[in-house]
Amino acid sequence: MEIKEIGVKRVNANVRIVRTMCDLCHCECGVLAYVQDEKVIKIEGDPNCPINEGHLCPKGLAAIQLLYHPDRIRYPLKRKGERGEGKWERISWDEALDTVTKKFREIIEKYGPESVTYSWGDAAYRNSRFTKDALLFVMNAPTHLHSDAHYCFHPVLIANRLTFGHLLTSEGSPDYRNSKCIMVWGGNPIMTHPTQGREIIIGKMNGAKLVVIDPRFTEIASKADIFLQVRPGTDDALALSMLNVIINERLYDQEFVEKWCVGFDQLKERVQAYPPKWASKITWLTEEEIIQTARLFATSKPAATHTRMGVCMSINTIQTIRAISILAAICGNLDIKGGNLIPNRPAGFKTRAEIVWKEFTLPPELENKRIGASEFPLLCSSASLGGNFCHPPSVIHAMMTGRPHPIKALWILNDLLVCLEGSKETEEGLANVDFMVGSDFFMTSTMELCDIILPPCTYLEREEVVESICTHNVIGARQRVIPLLDETRDEKEIDLEIIRRMGLKLPPHLQTLKKFYEYRVKDMGISFEYLKKKGYVAGPIFYKKYEETGFPTPSGKVELYSSILEKYGYDPLPYYQENPETPISTPELAEEYPFILITGGRHIVYYHSLGRQIPWLREILPNPNLEIHPETADQLGIKNGDWVWIEAPRGRGRVKMVAELTEAVHPKVVHAPSHWWFPEQKDPHHGVWESNINALMSNDPPYDPICGSTPLRGNLCKVYRADEK
Amino acid sequence: MKNNNIRLSLFLDADLCIGCFACEIACKQEHNLPVGRRWIKVVKLGPKKVGGKLYMQFVPVHCRHCGKPACMETCPVGAISKRSDGIVLFNEERCIGCKMCLEVCPFGALQYNPEKEVVEGCNLCVERVDRGLRPICVQNCPTGALGFGDINNFLLERHKRGIKRLIEREEFI
Repeated sequence: MEIKEIGVKRVNANVRIVRTMCDLCHCECGVLAYVQDEKVIKIEGDPNCPINEGHLCPKGLAAIQLLYHPDRIRYPLKRKGERGEGKWERISWDEALDTVTKKFREIIEKYGPESVTYSWGDAAYRNSRFTKDALLFVMNAPTHLHSDAHYCFHPVLIANRLTFGHLLTSEGSPDYRNSKCIMVWGGNPIMTHPTQGREIIIGKMNGAKLVVIDPRFTEIASKADIFLQVRPGTDDALALSMLNVIINERLYDQEFVEKWCVGFDQLKERVQAYPPKWASKITWLTEEEIIQTARLFATSKPAATHTRMGVCMSINTIQTIRAISILAAICGNLDIKGGNLIPNRPAGFKTRAEIVWKEFTLPPELENKRIGASEFPLLCSSASLGGNFCHPPSVIHAMMTGRPHPIKALWILNDLLVCLEGSKETEEGLANVDFMVGSDFFMTSTMELCDIILPPCTYLEREEVVESICTHNVIGARQRVIPLLDETRDEKEIDLEIIRRMGLKLPPHLQTLKKFYEYRVKDMGISFEYLKKKGYVAGPIFYKKYEETGFPTPSGKVELYSSILEKYGYDPLPYYQENPETPISTPELAEEYPFILITGGRHIVYYHSLGRQIPWLREILPNPNLEIHPETADQLGIKNGDWVWIEAPRGRGRVKMVAELTEAVHPKVVHAPSHWWFPEQKDPHHGVWESNINALMSNDPPYDPICGSTPLRGNLCKVYRADEK
Repeated sequence: MKNNNIRLSLFLDADLCIGCFACEIACKQEHNLPVGRRWIKVVKLGPKKVGGKLYMQFVPVHCRHCGKPACMETCPVGAISKRSDGIVLFNEERCIGCKMCLEVCPFGALQYNPEKEVVEGCNLCVERVDRGLRPICVQNCPTGALGFGDINNFLLERHKRGIKRLIEREEFI
């Protein structure tokens, strides 16, 4: 692709346009920022960026309100008074960094490096994954806490790698544009990955049939040719019965299966237990719907498959995604135009995964000290197929109990209290941590629990190499648009400074950010300066790369029967399992708590916990809306706009939301959005206990046996008007 | 074509509108609008079950730059005018803030600016249009659901596409 160069363009004497890349969600779209007198006056999409082709979502367009938000933390702060009292004083960077260095040193000496942990959310992960990894690496600490390690992107990574060795059914891999059939399973990319949502619509305009499988009738579902309103948490049953139809009717790609798949006979035998008639009872779908969808998917070639969070938060996450991955594989859709592509990053580019594995992997005896390594070896141990992270609920339990070892120092880069299930346990755990340093744009209920707060800068104030996960072949560069505001700093610079102050040493190519960026692009034969000027580089697309290299699995083929799962004592074939708290597993509980509660559907104006303080965005979605069917609401005397309580069983408590009467959900299902807090409330809780649905979720077992995910999309609850009781 | 035949307007392909709100925020940024004033607002219709199937559509509501603007006819002080290319404009110098136009607009698309005590609304990004650019909401629409141009041409295109769809459907059956 020919890309026009616009590093920086001067419009007139006062205004210049700086090309950069957004960082307000996973997509990392190309941005043109208009700057006047060193102030950003306008943000628009870069038409030359192959990721977004000139379009931005509301978050991206409202970036100025984030950058110049009056509540942004702009100076290092030190806590005065008790934790959570909300009293802070401004300190110098020197004092802040000295305190962090001193505390980290003391704690490492006393309790060992494994007692020091970082907590990331997605935003901080993208920004400072490498430098945080570097710091933990030089400290010999194996304890990375990624709050969504067990139920977001990483389960897909694990399930895909078990099956094909590559990440194929998520993010940038599906080739929607050239597809004949697009199957979106448990996701709403229009809201969550806007560029991907757009690609799906383009694919549809090019003639693709769209299949959407979701308990909610979402934005993407409204564009679907086939919408399957599956019972929450029964995606495994549906996928297995589709496999049953496709295999028994011999609709699969026989040549591909023969040549490139192992374990087909075992799979064939396994799926005989899951005919569509059986699945229709489990999933609330008709037999006809299941058979038709399976036939459409199998007979449309190429077909692109997308799996997302909806299938990642159950008791059977990995096997569910494996079953869906197998659907994509046996129908012969791997690495073909319009199917699911193996990434084509430019040759020579050092990818995120490559750097993490090569540069920051500790010796196995240290890696295996990671919390969760023995229970979930494929997520947490040195054999991890995920991302070298701890099992988050187990880390919270370690904070609470000191087992398997205590967590004494924590650097928090996200709003853990609203982002992680089990908010009350999280709060209790954090109270036991001796020293906490926080980094966030705003004062959140989590930041209020810290001892020191270090102010990070936004994407408009920093530069780096960008490897967007919403594309399989494009890399780009973020440019600094304006100088750092007040005393904010690039998170990565803070990490490197801590490393220096601790007297630890990094290899030469990682010692400064500049050297590191050069290192990432050097083997492409370009410099970072060139990349900034050029903006983006797209790798050429090759198909069926596996014909030369095989699949990076132990057998070199697609493992329908997983040898890795067998080796670790798991079932090598996908199976169906009912979630632990449903009308079927716990009928007596369902008498008092009759509704199935699904949580965490996203809205485009917010990115996880971020955005509720941005005026333009909050105007669009001012309240947490509980989606409830009009018939159900009528029976409960609930009207549209009423505040209602959502109460969970087993003493997990209740939270309050605004009823949104909608036929988008089944009468027996209610949907509560996640991540709600109220930044306008200035007390130190910032409304974290009012509408935060994660407070109702348990972080106790049972977990998915492989990735440790918790069943957050299919628990029981009851709903009643907020003026009752 | 003579100028008086042209009627510039925004138009919507509802099949393509995904309810992403990008038009709203792009408009806010371009015209520096605070909370409370939305020159374009995305409205969700549904979801509603019709004949056993769920339907949901999104419609951005904005000034339609009507052929015979009711607001213009109502305005007692001549603050609302229509250019020869069809763009309806609000003159804040002349406006007395009586809000009569708000009452007669069938779409409820006009907005009251309490700071200046005047009525305002979508001006089709007239400064951009005069520079040969598209309105900012159209430029930002990720799926091309929002279009801009002479509504007569649009209707012609729409007609062609409708027929094409019918033919395709026939083939499908």
